[in-house]
Amino acid sequence: MDKTEIIRLQAERWRREVRDPSVQQAPERQTRFVNDAGDTVEPVYTPADLDADGFSYESHLSFPGEFPYTRGIDPAMYRREIPIVSAYAGFGDPRDSNRRYRELIQLGVQGLSVALDLPTQLGFDPDDIMACGEVGRMGVTISTLRDLEILFDGIPLDSLRSVGSTANAIGPIMLAMFIALGEKQGLDRRQFTVALQNDVLKEYVARGTQIFPAEPALRFAVDALEWCVHHAPHWIPLTVCSNHIDVAGAGSTAATAFTLANARCYLDEALRRGLEIDQVAPLMRLFLNEREDFFLAVANYRVTRRIWARLLREQYGARDPRSLQIRIMGYAHGPRETAQEPLNNIVRITMGALTCFFGGLQDMRCASYDEAVNLPSDEAVKVAIRTQQVLAHEFGITSTVDPLGGAYYVEALANRMERKIAEIMQVVDQLGGALGAMERGYVQKTITAGASRRQQAFERRERVSIGLNVFPVKAETRQQTFQIDADVERRQAEQLQQVKQERNQSQVSATLAEVAASARDGRNVVPALLDAVKAYATVGEICGNLKSVYGEYEPDKSF
Amino acid sequence: MNKEQKVRVLIAKVGLDGHDVGAKIVALGLRDAGMEVIYTGLRRTPEQVVRAAIEEDVDVIGVSILSGAHLAHLSKIRRLLDEQGAADIRLVAGGVIPQEDISALEQAGVSRVFVSGTHVSEIADYIGSVKYRT
Repeated sequence: MDKTEIIRLQAERWRREVRDPSVQQAPERQTRFVNDAGDTVEPVYTPADLDADGFSYESHLSFPGEFPYTRGIDPAMYRREIPIVSAYAGFGDPRDSNRRYRELIQLGVQGLSVALDLPTQLGFDPDDIMACGEVGRMGVTISTLRDLEILFDGIPLDSLRSVGSTANAIGPIMLAMFIALGEKQGLDRRQFTVALQNDVLKEYVARGTQIFPAEPALRFAVDALEWCVHHAPHWIPLTVCSNHIDVAGAGSTAATAFTLANARCYLDEALRRGLEIDQVAPLMRLFLNEREDFFLAVANYRVTRRIWARLLREQYGARDPRSLQIRIMGYAHGPRETAQEPLNNIVRITMGALTCFFGGLQDMRCASYDEAVNLPSDEAVKVAIRTQQVLAHEFGITSTVDPLGGAYYVEALANRMERKIAEIMQVVDQLGGALGAMERGYVQKTITAGASRRQQAFERRERVSIGLNVFPVKAETRQQTFQIDADVERRQAEQLQQVKQERNQSQVSATLAEVAASARDGRNVVPALLDAVKAYATVGEICGNLKSVYGEYEPDKSF
Repeated sequence: MNKEQKVRVLIAKVGLDGHDVGAKIVALGLRDAGMEVIYTGLRRTPEQVVRAAIEEDVDVIGVSILSGAHLAHLSKIRRLLDEQGAADIRLVAGGVIPQEDISALEQAGVSRVFVSGTHVSEIADYIGSVKYRT
């Protein structure tokens, strides 16, 4: 009898003779403990739970910086460098946001992700009636390169470890703007790093800022990837996201599976263009998420590295270690933030941030504790940054690599997750890949079912929010401690008029025509975009020209 | 109400936000009340709303708006309707609309504003009676 078999028998004995009689005498708080993935959580985990999955240290974990990278993509991890302290920020006009950015950098922020308002994300200029009421509201408004110049006034791009944006449908346009801004600032592209989201596929199922039909949108996104392969191979032109799919209701396991399927879709399009897998894969990054369960979060980050490494080696024949070492970023929220007693959210966000450290992430940002109440205040933004710095430098969190590696519970969760993710990816494959699964509504149905499961769990108080459904108190009414300037829309429309008067109109028309021509001919659009943004063509004008070729996303009219 | 006389309603979503649960609840409620209901889907322009309303030959357009830009959008829809020979189409609105903006909207040609919290049956009663009022 081998060692784990003995432990399995002992565990059975313990349950029968020790645990069950004890629970019969004094029952547990719940008859069943279930996690967000819908799985039963056992009272205790032992080596026997790992054995069930044919677990071996060498094949499942190995060492940091070694295949399959479960324990981290770098041999030294946080002993060398802490995760990039990033902030997702932007509101009002570029001048307002520039002031906030300078404050953030003073606090020690190393990476900036530009939060864009809805009109910008959807390709409407501030003077478009569609933008009415939304300019500068959910993020900063950027319609021309001039706005980006003001946004980064006094902030050289090479002073940050990473700079980027959550642009998705307009991802390649923002790429062009950052290339142009780097040139304006007199920088060599090798001196700074642009990291974009540019993950348009998930917009159709979860995030909702799609502009074009999915197929041309996919090709457009891959244009950015392809351009960077040749001109800026150290940039991150594509961050494939599970975050929004998870939060919409899918749960982290299914969301990760859909994310990997989306990643495959981008990779396949790049390969179809004749690029090599080892040229493309190192430029990609994942944005993973799990906000319902601490240990699921840690397991998810760790096991996704393993799944990625195996997928890329076995199915894509990748050889370059950088193709196999997937970088992951996270946005620490912790469990759902409440408008009730918002200071409690600091605790929740801290727990979320801990999962990022234990998950071995490369880039992270912390949410602000008052996001459920208003736009982040200066104080809340500062606490978010300090949270990450405290965790990185105090209390021994980062002294050794992958401190939770080998924990029976975490590894058992990881193994189960790996199995489930493989199953879901197989279903997606059978439906024709990410696009097919989306067209047939499989992804959407999974999201809706999960959202309703979460809502029921909340109503039954199995999914607990302290202050909301347990120990309920009134929501914070001290609303709008921080408000954007209501005049932004008028000011930005005026600023845009001025830019339009100063620019060379025939150059604008010529570059816009070239944008449309590149799209029509199936050439990479990025060079044409670069000329257009340098001529101060607007995001709205560029999107208008692209719509004339790609068509427009047709909204769902069913109810 | 016989078939020929069914009130035809276009539920329209203008503005950039992606929240159309309210619009869909109203659309379902009106359909249950025996009306012919068409929904535009998210993020329509005033031009698209007016075109759909004329093509579908509706009696009423119900605009759901949460962005705060109700006056701009609704005035434009009313103006386009009048310009395009569809002055008889009634325009009603709902969503997040502050009490103090209602009279300005009425002056701009919106027949009725339903603030949040209005029961769907109240909206149905109003719209159902429209056809026989003009």
